[in-house]
Amino acid sequence: MDPDVQESAETQQSGSALVTAVSCHDIFDLSACQTDSSPLAKGAAFSFINAVQAVNQRLVKHNANEMLRFEVILLGKDCEEQIKSKIFDSAKHYGLKIGKFYFCSRGEFVRTLQANNAKLFLSTDRDDVYGALKAGVPAALLCQQADQQVQEQLKVLFSGDLIGLSEDVIDGLKDFGFSAVQIQNFKAAKGCIQEFAALIGEMRKRFGCKDSPLQTILITVLGSRDVCATALKTLRGWGLDVDEAFCLAGAPRNPILTTIQPHILWDDGLHNMKGVLPLMDMSS
Amino acid sequence: MSLDPVKVMKGQDPMALSSPLASNGDSKASWEESEGFCDGLGPKKPKSPKPENAVTIAVSSRVLFRTEKEQKVFEEKGVEEYIKYQMEHENEPFAPGPAFPFVKALETVNARLRELYPDSEELFDIVLVTYNHAHVGVRLINTINHHNLFIERFCMTGGSSPIGYLKAWHTNLYLSADAEKVQEALAQGIAAATMFMPEKQIEVSETQLRVAFDGDAVLFSDESERIFKAHGLDKFFEHERENENTLLDHGPLKGFLEALGKLQKKFYAKGHRLDCPIRTYLVTARSAASSGIRALKTLRAWGLEIDEALFLAGAPKGPMLEKIRPHIYFDDQMFHVEGAVEMGTIAAHVPYGIAQKYPHKKGTNFAK
Repeated sequence: MDPDVQESAETQQSGSALVTAVSCHDIFDLSACQTDSSPLAKGAAFSFINAVQAVNQRLVKHNANEMLRFEVILLGKDCEEQIKSKIFDSAKHYGLKIGKFYFCSRGEFVRTLQANNAKLFLSTDRDDVYGALKAGVPAALLCQQADQQVQEQLKVLFSGDLIGLSEDVIDGLKDFGFSAVQIQNFKAAKGCIQEFAALIGEMRKRFGCKDSPLQTILITVLGSRDVCATALKTLRGWGLDVDEAFCLAGAPRNPILTTIQPHILWDDGLHNMKGVLPLMDMSS
Repeated sequence: MSLDPVKVMKGQDPMALSSPLASNGDSKASWEESEGFCDGLGPKKPKSPKPENAVTIAVSSRVLFRTEKEQKVFEEKGVEEYIKYQMEHENEPFAPGPAFPFVKALETVNARLRELYPDSEELFDIVLVTYNHAHVGVRLINTINHHNLFIERFCMTGGSSPIGYLKAWHTNLYLSADAEKVQEALAQGIAAATMFMPEKQIEVSETQLRVAFDGDAVLFSDESERIFKAHGLDKFFEHERENENTLLDHGPLKGFLEALGKLQKKFYAKGHRLDCPIRTYLVTARSAASSGIRALKTLRAWGLEIDEALFLAGAPKGPMLEKIRPHIYFDDQMFHVEGAVEMGTIAAHVPYGIAQKYPHKKGTNFAK
């Protein structure tokens, strides 16, 4: 069954837009759904949309014909009919500039993402992100904001020791018991985020150092300072000069993340693996 | 392709989650087996300690290195030009700044601690905390490599306040060139001081870390200082005499002295009292015979040992500090900091207490 598509008046030219797919469940609170005509309550990651719209507004302010903008599309999985229209109406009510709404079954949402050339899929649900990545769609965690009001600046965080490891080093991991499939996964993980990093980098360049509505951040968790330096240079090579950089060298990540409060968190998950620590002295 | 992002915002333990990139059907058991590979590699550098176990010193790039030229570009031409300049000079290392000898000395102590206690995490941990943009990061890392410093951790906050990160790192001491940031840190209960570069540099020890502290408003609170400023010297003496047996309240650097003391005891426990690589000094304008007694009693009651207590009774501190040659000297009064720096001592200002509102008048000499 083909997914239900509803297009609003906000549809933009896709072209070079940064098509970002977000799950409905994150923007609206679908659990407490009333039957009356009141709009849905805001979801855990609602402030993300505000931050994205602020970026778009600033982009257009600089250049009315700006093609590189966020184009947000909403994905709804297994939504009942009455919810669908509620979502559509709620988006209108809150003044959300959402281009397209896709309602599909759970099994089809990855296909839907692929068909729409989504440059990034965001969800607070780890399994959803995992599912997208497995199918080759760049995806990242959409973080719940502790303080919904304060965060105006859109913060995009790359937690990526992998970015700081060269291809040769990643290949060399086979000497340490990692299988060929795992090595392939590492490389693919690094590869899939490159395009998004390049787009965000380009977008970031539209703004100056101060007073930017968009902030880009790099964290390396286990790697030594040289791994972090390599990651900075790699990102630069991809077209992204991050604003903030943190090298933890094994220190716990949570306290730092809590201070940063990112909206988007791309995580290579490398630091979860036991036995990886001694490898982290390696840099290209 | 399989990636599994971590739900860290809810404070869940990331280690509890499965290893996503291992998902080629293998169970977690395969990870435990592959732990043996690390023997083959061998550690190139010692592992950094967990922040809560270590004595964490956060230094900013402007005190660790000399960045006057770059600072000038920033002030005269703005941030964009500044970043461009930094990137153009990326492969030129910075020269050492005022905090450099202190950091080197901390590493010396660490080396000795590791020899005696190879499994302990009670070490100094140095974190570079700067509100520089990450564009300067590569140059900073190149510089750290060039000088062979053992700094693996850093926060480049790209313009946002570094104060939140200081707490996340369990910072025991924060050194910066920016008085405002230092005051913010002090207000949050973090020991902090502003550092100044001496024109001429006197040589400091390479084998022993020497830390010198002023007493009032540094180790102790500024309560006595207040009496002195408000009511003069005689009232001060009277007050101290009357309260000789009342402990002074603690000041912003008391915790740091305590941390140093803990590490010193580790050396004593292994028979290294005489050649302990950490030595602490109290350099105060109080008099040994009178007002100094209260200071000593307070330190004793706190269980803190200070190796040398120098009661100057109002005499200038410069010559004494020149003899001691500390890697860092903490004082709450800019007058004393400037005097020390003029004579080549590495001094740091602790902007705490009443002296910030009523600075010392030059030319007066008070025996306390």
